[in-house]
Parts: sequence; C-alpha cells; structure tokens
Amino acid sequence: MYKRTTEEQQKRVLFLGAGETDFGMQGENDAAIYQALPILKKQGYELFVVEDNPYSLSLESAFAKTIVATLTVQNIKAIIKENAIDSVVPAFAGVRGIRLWQQVLSEWREEDGDKPKTLGMPESTVSLMADQTALYDRLIDAGLSMPEATIVKSQDEANQILRDLELPLLVRAHNPAQATTRRIVKRLDDFEEVVGRVLEQSLTKEAVISKAINGLKEVSLLVLRDSFGNCLQVGASEDMDPIGIHTSDSLSVAPVLTISDQVLQKMRTQAFLVANILKVQGPVHVQLAFDEKTGDMYVIKVSPYLNQLTNRMALLTGYPVMLVSAQLAMGKRIDEVVLPDSYHEKTAMLEPVMDHIVVKLPVFSFGDLEAAGVKVNRQLSSIQKSVGSALGFGRTFIEAMEKAIRAAHFNNRSFSPKYMKNITDDELIQQLIHPQDNRVLLLIEALRRGYEVDELAELTKIDEFYFYQLGHLLEIEQKILNARPTSTVLAEAKKSGLSDGLLARFWQTDFQAIRNLAKEAGIIPTYKALEPSAGEFPEKARQFFATFEEENESAPLCDESVLLIGSGAFRMGDGAAAGYMVNVALSELRAMGYKTIIMNNNAADATLLPHLSNKQYLEPLEVSDVMAVVDQEHPRAILVPGNRRKLIAALQNLGQNVIVLPKDKHQPNGPEDGQSEFALNFFYDGKNAYPLVVTEHQNGEIRLIDEDVSDVDLDEFELRSPGMYQLIWRRESGEWSEHVDLPNFAVDTWLRPMPYGQIAFLSKVLGLSLVRLVIRSWQGGLKPEDLEALVAHMPQLKEGEYAMVSDRTDFDLHLKPEGEIDSTRFEMGAKIVRLLKEDD
Amino acid sequence: MERHLILEDGTVFSGQGFGAPATTFGEIIFDTASSGYQETITNPIYDGQMIVFAMPVVGADGIHAEAYESINPKIRGMIVHDLAEVSTNRQRRMNLDRFLQQYNIPGLAQVDTRKLIRHLRETGSQKATIVDVVDEHAKDQLAATVLTNKQVQNTATPKAYANPGRGFHIIVIDFGLKHGILRVLGDYDANVTVLPYTTSVDEVLTLDPDGIILSTGPGNPEDLPESVLTLIRVLQTKVPMLGIGLGHELFALANNSALAALPAEYHGMNHPIQEIISKEIIYARQGRGYVVDPDELDSKKLFVTHRDMIDHSIQGLRHREYPAFSVQFFPDGAPGPEEAKRVFLDFFETVVDYVQKNN
Repeated sequence: MYKRTTEEQQKRVLFLGAGETDFGMQGENDAAIYQALPILKKQGYELFVVEDNPYSLSLESAFAKTIVATLTVQNIKAIIKENAIDSVVPAFAGVRGIRLWQQVLSEWREEDGDKPKTLGMPESTVSLMADQTALYDRLIDAGLSMPEATIVKSQDEANQILRDLELPLLVRAHNPAQATTRRIVKRLDDFEEVVGRVLEQSLTKEAVISKAINGLKEVSLLVLRDSFGNCLQVGASEDMDPIGIHTSDSLSVAPVLTISDQVLQKMRTQAFLVANILKVQGPVHVQLAFDEKTGDMYVIKVSPYLNQLTNRMALLTGYPVMLVSAQLAMGKRIDEVVLPDSYHEKTAMLEPVMDHIVVKLPVFSFGDLEAAGVKVNRQLSSIQKSVGSALGFGRTFIEAMEKAIRAAHFNNRSFSPKYMKNITDDELIQQLIHPQDNRVLLLIEALRRGYEVDELAELTKIDEFYFYQLGHLLEIEQKILNARPTSTVLAEAKKSGLSDGLLARFWQTDFQAIRNLAKEAGIIPTYKALEPSAGEFPEKARQFFATFEEENESAPLCDESVLLIGSGAFRMGDGAAAGYMVNVALSELRAMGYKTIIMNNNAADATLLPHLSNKQYLEPLEVSDVMAVVDQEHPRAILVPGNRRKLIAALQNLGQNVIVLPKDKHQPNGPEDGQSEFALNFFYDGKNAYPLVVTEHQNGEIRLIDEDVSDVDLDEFELRSPGMYQLIWRRESGEWSEHVDLPNFAVDTWLRPMPYGQIAFLSKVLGLSLVRLVIRSWQGGLKPEDLEALVAHMPQLKEGEYAMVSDRTDFDLHLKPEGEIDSTRFEMGAKIVRLLKEDD
Repeated sequence: MERHLILEDGTVFSGQGFGAPATTFGEIIFDTASSGYQETITNPIYDGQMIVFAMPVVGADGIHAEAYESINPKIRGMIVHDLAEVSTNRQRRMNLDRFLQQYNIPGLAQVDTRKLIRHLRETGSQKATIVDVVDEHAKDQLAATVLTNKQVQNTATPKAYANPGRGFHIIVIDFGLKHGILRVLGDYDANVTVLPYTTSVDEVLTLDPDGIILSTGPGNPEDLPESVLTLIRVLQTKVPMLGIGLGHELFALANNSALAALPAEYHGMNHPIQEIISKEIIYARQGRGYVVDPDELDSKKLFVTHRDMIDHSIQGLRHREYPAFSVQFFPDGAPGPEEAKRVFLDFFETVVDYVQKNN
C-alpha cells in the first residue's frame, strides 16, 4: 500500500478531463491541461489524466500517465485508489470537472481510504458551486449585487412568483445536469413551458427564477488569485450585444472600450472580492452586468474554473494563464511562479495590457444545417446557439472586426451592399429587436438605409460607439465602390481589414490583380508582436498579427520552416478533430527538426499554444492572409487540411509547395438506421498501402472488428497523397459483427479519406499515432524503423475493447431543429467508451 | 489633415491631426494603461508633457463630468493610434476631439504608436513638437526650446480654499493636486483645506490640522524652493503626514535622501507593488519620472515600506520617528485600481491615533 508522508503530499496529481465536445466546450479545457502538464512534470509532480474524449491531446501527452475512462464517480474513485492519487485538480476540466469532483467528494466513504486533497480551491468551494442558493447568499452577504433569485420546486410555486415579479424573467435549472440552461421568458404564454423544461433539466427538479436584466451591458473579467490572497486581473472583454443574448453568441471586444475607468475599477474590485470569497488558487471568470443609466452593477455569473475565456484571454493578451494557473493550484505564490525562458522573467506578475484590439465573433452552423435540409430557429437568445468562434486581431475595432468576420468564414457575398436589399424595413426592425446570426451585417444595412445612430442604439441597446464604427466601414465601402482600384483606396481598405479577395469582388477583378497592385504600391502588412506589456519591455514574442503601419516586428524564422494552416473556428462535424490533427502534425514536424509556423484564429484550439510551434500568426486564413505570411517567412512547405480545397488550389497556382492532410470537404453522413457501415482502414505512405483494421459503424457508434487484414492487397487503388484512407461498404445490420467477410473492393466499396475524428480515435485505441506516420511519410516514404513500428504493432490489434460513440448533443435545447440532425455528419463531440466483455 | 511629431533625436512620426491645430512643444512620454484617458489627460502631473497612448482606441467612452482630475488639462499633446468620436455629454456633442480643441491642445491620430513607444523605451523621454510641416525650421525650433521647470507654479492653487466635510480636518498642500485625492477624502467625510505650497508653517499650524497630505504634482521636485522642504521637516514632527507622488519625492528630499531621474518614465497601472511587511501585492496607477535613489536613502530617518516588483523601485517610505509616510504610486486611482486606496485607511488610522493622544 502506498504510504503517505508529508514530503510526498501533493506529488501524485490527477487532472480530471472535461469529456466530450459540446456547445460551449470546444476543447479549451483539454488544451489547458495539455499545456500545464510539461511545466508541472518539470517541477517534480507525478501526473495523471483521465479523459474519454477521443480528440483529447492530453491523452497523448508524454508528461502524464493517461487513462481512458468514462468520467463517472465510480471510475474516478477507482483510478484514485489504483494510482494512489493524493491530490486532484478539478478546475482545469471546467464546470464539468467541478461538478464531477463535487459528486466524488460527496460520495466519498470511509472505506474509500484517505480523501485526496482538492487543488485549486478548497473543498468547501467545490460544494458551494453546486449549491446556487448558498453561493448567492455568500455573494450577497459580501455586499455584491445579484439579480434577486428564488428557487421553486413546482409549477405552482413558479406561478406564485409571477405575481411578485414582472416579465421578463430569467429561469434556469438548479443543480443542472447540463451546462447552460438559462432561459429568458418575455411572454406569459411561454412561462409554463419553460419552467417545465427547466425543472426537468435539474438534478433536484428545482428551478431558479430571477428578474431578467435584459438590455444591460455585459462584461467578462478574468482574474487570478494565489493562495495568499494576491489577485491580479488578466483582462476584461465587453459584449457588443446586451444581456439577453448568450455571451458566446455575441460579438465581444477586448480590451473594454466603451466603459469608463471608474466603472471598470469597481468591476475589478468586485471580481477580486469574488475570488477571495471562493478562496480560489487560479482563475475566476466573473460576468457582470452594468446599467449605464443608473450606474447599478450586478454579478451575474461566477466561474472559478478554466473555460473559454481563460484560453481566449491567454491568447489575446499573451499572458500565460494556464501555466500560471497550474502553479497557483499547486500552492505557489504569484511571485514564485516559474515560466519558460520564452517569457520575460516578470511576466507572471505583470498585469497584461493590450495595445491591439481583438474581436471575437461567434460561428453558427445554421447554414450548413439548412443546406442539409434541417431548418433551425436562427433567433439568438440566452441559450447558446453558436458552435464555435473566431478571433480577429487588429489595431482598430474595424480592422479587428473585419478580420474576425473573415476568420469566421462568412461568405464573400455577404459583404455585397446588395446582400440585404431584399429585406423589408419591417423585417429589418424585427431583426434589430430579435437578432439573428447575421447581426453585424444587419446593423450595417440599417445604417445604410439611413437610420439614426441614437435610434439604433435605443432599439438594440448597443453602444453608440459601435454604430459610429460601422458607419466608418460603410464610408470605406462607398469609397471602394465609387473608385477605381488605386493605391490610396486600397491602402485604406487594407487598413480596415478587408482581404484582396473581397476587394477583387468589389472591383470585379481577380485576386492576383489586387495583390500586384498592393505590392507595387508598397501596401504590405506589418506584423505586430502580441505581448503582455504593450511595448514597455522587450519580450521574446513569437505571436504576431498583421496590420498596416510602419514597423514590422516579425523577422523570418529560418530557411527550413513549415507553415501549418489551422482549421479555424470550431464547426459542427469534427472541428475538434481537425484541431487535433494539426496539433499532432505540429508536434511531429518539430520532432523531425523543422521550425514550425502556425496560422490560426480559434482560441479554443490547442494549435495556438505557444509551446507547440516556433511562431504563431493570429490571422484569418484566406489566400491573401496566407500569402502575406508566405512572403514574410518563405516556408519550405505549407501544410493544409484537405477540406480547404479553394485555398489548396490557390496556393498551388501560386507555385507553393502544399502538403495536404487528406480530408473530405464535409464530414460524411453516417449509415442509415438498420445499416452497418464497414471500413477497411489503411495507411498510404505515398508508395504502399498498409491495411490496419476493419471498423463497423452503427448509429453513431464505431467498433473495431477482430479480423486480421494485414495481407489484404490494396495495390489497385491510386491515391494522390499520403494519408489515412478508408474503403467503405454497407450492409443491413443486426448484431455487432464478430467477423466480417471482405467484399470485392474494386466493385462494392468506395474510397474516402479517413475522417479526422476516426484518426484520433484509432490512434488512441491502437496506441499508434497515425498522424505521425502521415507526416513522416511526407518526406518520401517511411523510414525502416517506422515500418517496423507499424508491423510490430499489427498483432496487437485485438478485438475492440473500446468504441467511439458520437455524443448525443442536446440539439433540441440549443437549435430547436425542425427535423432530425445526423449526429455523424454534424457531430459536436464524441466519447471513447470501454466495452464490457461477456466474461468481465 | 496630416500633421507630424518630431522628436528631439530627429525621428519623425506622421499622422492625422485632431483637437486643436496648434503647434506645441513638450516632453514626450508614453502611457500603457488600457483605461482612463480622460483622467490621464486632465491629471496636472502631466503639465508640459505630450502623452502617447498604448491603448489602441482612445475616446470610445466620451468625456464625463466625473472623470476630470482637474478642470483645465495642461498636457501639450496627445498621440493615439485610433481616435473614436463618441459623446456622452447630455448638453452638447463633446467628444475627445472637441474637448482638446476647447483647451487648445493638439492631438495626432493614426500614428504607429507601438513603434513610437518601442522607440521611446529605448531612447528615453525627450523633447518633442507637433507641427504641420517637417522642415529645418521646425527642428531648430525644437532644439532651441527650453521646456519650463515651473510646472508646479503653473498648476498648483495660488489661494487657499476649503472642501468642507464633517470629519477630520485634513490639510492638503497643493503641488498640482488631482481630484482623486479630494474624492477619497470626501469618502472619509474629511474637512479639507487645500493650501498653496508657499504657505508658512505658522499658517498651517494655526489651522490645527488632524493630518497633512503632500499632494501629487508635475515636474522635477528639485526645482521647488527649499522652503517647501523646511515646511515638511517641521510639520512631519507635529502632525500625521502622507506624501503622494511628488509629495513622496519631496518627503524623501526633506529627509536627507536623494532622487534619481528615470531614463524612460513609467506611466501605467500594471506593475505589482509589494507591501514589504505583509508581502501583499497590489496594483496601482503610477506616473513617475523620478524615484528615490535606494543608494541615497537616509536609512537612519526613513525605511522602505513598498517596492515595485518589476523594477524594484522604492514605492513607499515611512519615517522612523514620526507618524509620517509616503507612497510613490497614486492610491486614489482615478484612473487605476482601487486596492491601493488602503493607503488612505492607514493614514486615517494614524490620524485617529494622533487625535486620541492629543485630546
């Protein structure tokens, strides 16, 4: 039995994983854990990670013992016992981690042995987070204002509240089983239904009802606190849209622009107070509402754990939030935190300041769903509908916003002044009041039609500042439309974040013509370093964004660099998996001795973690953005995920050496009900095909079949590039197959690139990193030792112990679709599930 | 209209003029804070200076009645990257642009401020001018300009005035007082009398104060008359005293210590400051061109209470014998974090002590 001594206390540390990807959970927690592991390992901790998300990078970390297990109380307890874990970090797994750990703590029995220490916050805070009433009381007692809330256990009790409070009301589940359940009820008719639903979503069948504070400004603050009570503010961002629209669905801006210092300082003081009440050792995200008319301020949500904001703030300030949080959780004081050499030695203590603007724009999947024949309700509300987000970096709001719009892959056509000409004035007003996903374009259209700024501000509760800014954009648009392509107009357009491609559309010419004009006129981007001191200190910055000014701070990395194009915003259907792919590719290229440069704009995606690449460009991923970086860095090759077909073609036309990570444009549909889809999975190294394993797919679940396929002859298939592929065939299904008769490949199957999600899953269950093989083969076939590893691996392909299950996302709650959503094609997240065998 | 900024070292930055079309001369410094532009440009400590803002968008919050740190801004120029035209004034359209016009202050926008700040970081604070045309004449003018060292005379009140309250009687010696200090004293309901720095010891003692504050102010403290140091030397022995900013520097000078000029001034609010006795870390607004030289500190008289953890500069001093102390940073915020306000709490505790002992 493991014997605990004081010295060894806190040495064996378990990180809970965050589980499957979902609305609001896009892999940021996994990225945070993945980043924290190396530095803690270096400081002498024995680390463990438990996770069931197939796209997890932490599960492939070399710095921890990784455990694939479903995240249940029973499993966590068993893992703690088996591995003699003495402390647990729940906060890195976000709200799910806190909830799971709270359940483990409350179900801990004497026979379970010594209870592990909770790191990052006291146990009492873990339980406080599960008890909304107690939390509310604590914050109110400390003098903070919160919208008054009442807990009801039934419809009758809810109806009584209606007598005392006026609509709109905010209804949310007490002890919710799900992540977000906040609903705003504006019409009496909806009240009963919403209360009914919310009661069902509560583990304790209780609903919390409070006065809705629609129309107020929403601000998010991220603060850090150490075990000695020292607090610092990492940053703050404001939502353009008022409260009433979920913060994830709003355009948001950092730093805060439209709120005075006095109010911001009060918010800071309140956020510090929250951190001190919760006695957190690490980050707290505090959301506040501010009433500009009365000056009243409300705390609307406290999140003492890592979430989207932590990763986003880390990226947009350059402050290493995760590295610092991990060490604070271990009990270090803020001035004892150690950072890698790439940071200024005082960075951890210096409150980051930004000399650039970052706009976050939500990404919705409505268009994709509608293209697939599923109509959804597009109206934005207090329930999150966006599936991901993209960031735009610039030195003005307009530049940052335009770059965010481009990063979010709006269609170029949407920028046409004619795009909204068919919308009637009535519809326009309706959509101003009830916003949809085309929010920004609609606001511009309203200005175009001559609505006054104060009218619009009143109607939308959006600060006038934003309308003035959008007005500027409109002026620039007019200038472009009224002018021939000249260097003056082009310079102004480029400064405003517009791309060559978009300008080419406006001027009815091609991208190359604009690019040439810009080059001739010397309109080339200047890259600004992204670092936390706003220029006060020389930092060894490795993160850059483009703007058009005088000084370019980015010097080319070296002759032997490889540029990787990230997968951009998370989208339904393997967004997280694409991030995984690019990450492993980055890591392998580094291992092969290349200097790597990544371009991306998604804060949740681990690809932008500073330690994974030599240099990062935080940019949209259009051809003009990519080519600007190419002109700057002259990479030896550009690696692009296979679904970016236009980009690949354009880069090839421009004579670039493009390596494609094979992928279909869309995630394939899953098999029909009652069908089995079989896949012979194989690896192609550019010369030879290596069959790996047969998988069977039924109704969103994929299992391995115990069938030796190593001798199957695949020579007849011609493939364009090295990668992982599948031969697919379908049959009527019944039970899961134990064995499978291989079909005539030439006739009865079709070929496709292996979906990234399945690559991630198979890599984990086969214990063989398939992406690494692909990357190595890019140099021209595998080395003998790679082949040995591959072959040595084959006999170990036992009957599938694990299956991958696409997770049952609550599409109903978020999107209200008018039809079935194919959970394979539009997958949000997946789980690895351990299959119980008969003799278990 | 295109206008230009010329630095003493000959470097030129171009941008679009806003505010007043005036040509001015001043000492150029940069500010890294991401909020509080109005408080900053109205803070009298910036008398005679031009400020470059690291915050890329300035003006998005308009001009507010409650954000004045003095009524007449004394800066010589404002250099920003992107100027926002927002008015929050209920009476008239008063955005940052018009505000500067009203006070005849030139602004320069669309400047590569990050390049400028990185340049100033290396070359230090220096003379600069904002002009319409860059030519030898403009450069000669700049070279020939001798900047004033009379900033305190320029900003501090020439006459005593009262800011009545019902609490302790606090005398503020004005070297270029910012409103934030009065605001916090108001929170304590102090009965405040603001006196010119030329006031004599007798006049001060006749008013029988419960405590004395040496205010913030602009410029080099060594340019002030010796009489100020004498005043401090006498008063510190009699009544609790708090020095802030320039007041802190004068407190050190009065106690046989010396100052050092910083090559590049620091203006921002993101440095951690440690209270040495408790090890607690706070953040506070700072604006300094001088610091107390640690090698020239008379440690028989004074000891260090606070330090900046980034550059190790002395941020707080306390007298070994008398109830007198001082801070280099601005505990009133405005703009800046509120956690530094606890310095006033310490001060009032000292005042309470004094009052109890002497009643």
